[in-house]
Amino acid sequence: MEISRLCIPYTPFTGKLEESKVALVSTAGVHLKDQPPFILDGDTSFRIIPGNVESRDLMITHGHYDHSDADKDINCVFPIDRLRELAQEKFIGSVSEIHISMGYTQAFREVREKTIPEIVKQIQDSRADITLMTGG
Amino acid sequence: MSIQRALEMMAIPSVLITTDKEQTHMGRPSRAFSPKGFKIGHSVGKPGQKELHKKVIKDALSLLINPIEPGKIAEREYPEYHEL
Repeated sequence: MEISRLCIPYTPFTGKLEESKVALVSTAGVHLKDQPPFILDGDTSFRIIPGNVESRDLMITHGHYDHSDADKDINCVFPIDRLRELAQEKFIGSVSEIHISMGYTQAFREVREKTIPEIVKQIQDSRADITLMTGG
Repeated sequence: MSIQRALEMMAIPSVLITTDKEQTHMGRPSRAFSPKGFKIGHSVGKPGQKELHKKVIKDALSLLINPIEPGKIAEREYPEYHEL
């Protein structure tokens, strides 16, 4: 049986934030400087960002929002340093070993059928308890 | 299907921080937070606004503890966003 698109899937959170591992999932076009950049007019691929990344090693390739400020401080859209600080402050338990980033795309069918299942698998395998999502 | 929808269907709780409330609302988010008046490209604030970034993330993650109805978007004002 297919779920109606009007139905909203919702998983209650039953853990404790201070014990939870958090992964970032972003569509802001963030990637490592040595990873292939996203194709500006549409790209259904995603990049795996290692949890121990230095934020200065990240950049943005995305042509559909103004990322000039995020170019100066990637945390504006991909707050990896802030998550680490929140883990140090014990607001969250830990920062995931991997995070996920996508760029711009309008190829929704391919994203739905191919990209999203792969992303979900990555997050499941990472055993992250929570995902924090950002757009551009 | 959105990424959030797929994650929630696989029992991974998620919180979406959005700077485009109207667009996000149309997608019927499972759990979403909007810092009011933030520009696209400033999901958690402007460059260097470290304390604000953390505040926004904490407020977003707090929706996991104090949920609102799925499909609705929690909003909050941050006067310090406009100070820089």
